[in-house]
Amino acid sequence: MALNLDSPQSLNRETRLGSITGYAGTFQDLTKKGCAGCLSNKKRCFATPSTCSHVHSINQLAAIDDVAVIDHAPLGCSGSIIYYTVGHNKRRSDHFDGKKRLAVVVSSNMKESDTIFGGTEKLRETILAVHKRHKPKAIYVVSSCVSSIIGDDIYSVTQDASLELGIPVGFASGEGIRSKIWSSGFDAYCHAVSRTLLDAPLEKNNTVNYIAFTKINRENLDPFMHRLGLDVIYLTGGATIEDYKSASRSLASFGQCGSQSSYLAGALEQMFGVKYFQSHLPFGGVGFERFYRDLARYLGKLDIAETVILEEREFYADELAILREKLKGKKAFVALGASYAFEYVRMLHELGMEASHVVAYHYDPHLDNVSDEPVAAAADAIEIGYDFSVSVNDAQESETYLLMKRHPADIFISRSHAGGLWAAKTGIPTMEADIGLDIIGYRGLVSFGKGIVSKLSNTNFTLNLGKRYKSPFTEEFESRNPYFFEDDA
Amino acid sequence: MMNSVCAEQHRIGCALGGFYTALAMNGVLPILHCGPGCQEQVQNVLALINGGQNAHPFQEMFLPCTSFSESDVVFGGTDRLRKTVSIALESYKAEMMLIVSGCTPAIVGDDVAEVAESFCDAKIPVRCAELPGFAGNNLLGHSRVLRAILGTCERETSEVTPRMVNVFGIVPFYDPFWDGTLENFGSLLRAIGLEPNILYGRGNGYRNVKKVPRAEFNIVASPWIDLDVTVELQERFGTPVFHYPMIPVGPTESSRFLRELTAFSNLDSNHVEQYISDMEDRYYYYVNRSLSWIHECRNMSKEFIVISGASSALSFTRFLINDLGLIPEKIYIAENVPSNYHEIIRGYFEDVAYDGPVEVVFTDDGGLAAAEMRDMNLSGKPIILGSSWDDALAQNLGLPYIPISAPLGDYPIGSKNYFGYEGGLSLFCEYCAACDKA
Repeated sequence: MALNLDSPQSLNRETRLGSITGYAGTFQDLTKKGCAGCLSNKKRCFATPSTCSHVHSINQLAAIDDVAVIDHAPLGCSGSIIYYTVGHNKRRSDHFDGKKRLAVVVSSNMKESDTIFGGTEKLRETILAVHKRHKPKAIYVVSSCVSSIIGDDIYSVTQDASLELGIPVGFASGEGIRSKIWSSGFDAYCHAVSRTLLDAPLEKNNTVNYIAFTKINRENLDPFMHRLGLDVIYLTGGATIEDYKSASRSLASFGQCGSQSSYLAGALEQMFGVKYFQSHLPFGGVGFERFYRDLARYLGKLDIAETVILEEREFYADELAILREKLKGKKAFVALGASYAFEYVRMLHELGMEASHVVAYHYDPHLDNVSDEPVAAAADAIEIGYDFSVSVNDAQESETYLLMKRHPADIFISRSHAGGLWAAKTGIPTMEADIGLDIIGYRGLVSFGKGIVSKLSNTNFTLNLGKRYKSPFTEEFESRNPYFFEDDA
Repeated sequence: MMNSVCAEQHRIGCALGGFYTALAMNGVLPILHCGPGCQEQVQNVLALINGGQNAHPFQEMFLPCTSFSESDVVFGGTDRLRKTVSIALESYKAEMMLIVSGCTPAIVGDDVAEVAESFCDAKIPVRCAELPGFAGNNLLGHSRVLRAILGTCERETSEVTPRMVNVFGIVPFYDPFWDGTLENFGSLLRAIGLEPNILYGRGNGYRNVKKVPRAEFNIVASPWIDLDVTVELQERFGTPVFHYPMIPVGPTESSRFLRELTAFSNLDSNHVEQYISDMEDRYYYYVNRSLSWIHECRNMSKEFIVISGASSALSFTRFLINDLGLIPEKIYIAENVPSNYHEIIRGYFEDVAYDGPVEVVFTDDGGLAAAEMRDMNLSGKPIILGSSWDDALAQNLGLPYIPISAPLGDYPIGSKNYFGYEGGLSLFCEYCAACDKA
């Protein structure tokens, strides 16, 4: 479905892409049904917390330099922002002036009376106060469950404020209730910046856009792009408004994953013809080769790509052989986001390992590319042809816990959302997976493999935890069907 | 009270954050009736970035949650809630369940109390606390949760367990040092002959809730938190209240606390005086052993700024003034303290061995201090006591800093605390190190 960039609001993933958060089956079945348009979502009769789109629209917008974000919500709805502030400060040390940056996220602090009388006047005051205190180059207002249910016309307030203040004042529809898929919050951010920061290009540059959380470790990507004569525009945390304005002049875009990057890359392709590469992500050796060839072919530089690929293969061949020997036959349980869950399975496969079970936090049968190229998981299903046990849950730790017991593994590979916590408690070694620039190419594959080898070399920490584990759940729970789908109950 | 239209740098969670008070009690399982992401907003500011904490054994991401969504706005969420409670009762080893509900069910008018009541025949109590974020912060939530849980306890006999005291005034998780503080608080009470009944932390929990009515008296160690709860307990069970306005930090306050408590509870004052004398002697033994380091060309901060909740601001301010001899530059109380307590709390801040002014600002804007300090004409190099937000501010301004309040920082703190004589010593050392580093 084409993006409707004329509307003030982005459509959520369920409606736009047919994305789901409930599924149990196999990789081949999931991807085939996705491509055929017959993938249906399973609803749950019991759930545990996950995260919501709201915070993900806020944290992405707040990571742009000189931007202030206003959360039109009760005070608590942006409580998480300290998490992103400390994380951001850790990550930007390599390319900043040494000063710590405090994310500017201001709450309109809606109270009970605002839910009755409306909060637009308060929002107007907050916008003016933020402008006075922080003097930002752009302001984004993010809606919340409360401000959207009571029907505040936030968009009109932002339009008026933009005229009054003479800076972009954008609107991001980030209310949690609009989508079951937290990545819809990334879409709300992309929609807001697409409508306020993108400019029609006067000319094209030899640049490629990389859309992601962070540009740390850019040295893993830049040389490959330089070989193709490209510079990278990093549309990541720490990007400037000027970076966004120059994005339309790029020849192509790609992103860290379909979840975070698809909407903006899709908008750039749809509005300005910037080719969006998403079928092959550059992670691990195989992923890199396919992605790099796709991009080089598009630029008419396939010969350069083949040379680089041979160099890379050769450089890491010995290390990889040793790793494969050490890791042969080992199993990993993987619980990761919609793209990385499957990127990591392919990388495990390259290391001679296999997945005991894979949990993807959601699944997108399509992304926002203009072409009809399949999503990366579907491309792998066709090109590599392997199959494994898969379920889709939005970080439902109760489900993942039960699945983990039924699909034993040597290591549990996850990232955030407390997935690894229950593995560690019950005695399984864990690994917090890197994403993005850390795992590009053969270098990334080798670093991942070395990480597993070292994790498995001394497992005392989790072993000791496991010995002392006392389940806080009943026998009935421990032995039940791991899925809480409505029609199974 | 400065009611700001620019509320930023969150140092407090919304009312829903009260569920952490339930999670601090073994055996109590909160059931969340709210959106799928509400828990995370609270978790980051009150737990994860607040000293790397998580709840145990019921970790936050494993709590039952209705994940209130758009269809629930239209049809109401009570059916889903009922189903969630039934499955939770079958699945979790709990002694009590507490439904906590957020903004969206409150706006659409879900009758959460009715759902809780419909489980009156369940094997364990199922109660509820309505905690919409627009109604207030996690301190309001704490009060509602604690009252709902204490609502389940009944006095089986009219007998009082001699010397047993309930300990109130600490908000678990929000006070990042809660766990270690309570362990040491308990030890101190035991050392002077009392038997502490503590609700939160390892080995405590719902079983101690049941003992609450039998206490000889209740201790409230905070300027205002839990006074409502203990007044209610006094009405229900006739339990007297010993109110001390803060957690004692350092020798001056610890000794004062012990003397007032002794007078209140008719403890053996000779024994307590001996204890005080020994502890003060120990504190000054260690301070004396650091004096040459201080007098090795160090220029220690003389002024200080505090940005925190009222309870810890008071504990740390009194220690810095009374024991370390520092001068308060400004105290920002960045939690929404009810206005009827403002003057009383100001009085507590002025009750110190220092004649100069103690400027106290009550605000709900966590960013006020940073905004003011940009333009403030700072005398010397004041040390900042605050949260992770102020860590960045202090680094940018080149000022010394000690983390004391939520969100404390992005690292696990284990049992760390600043309680009592030993706590004062820890803080003294950290003050020295922070000043030297800046």
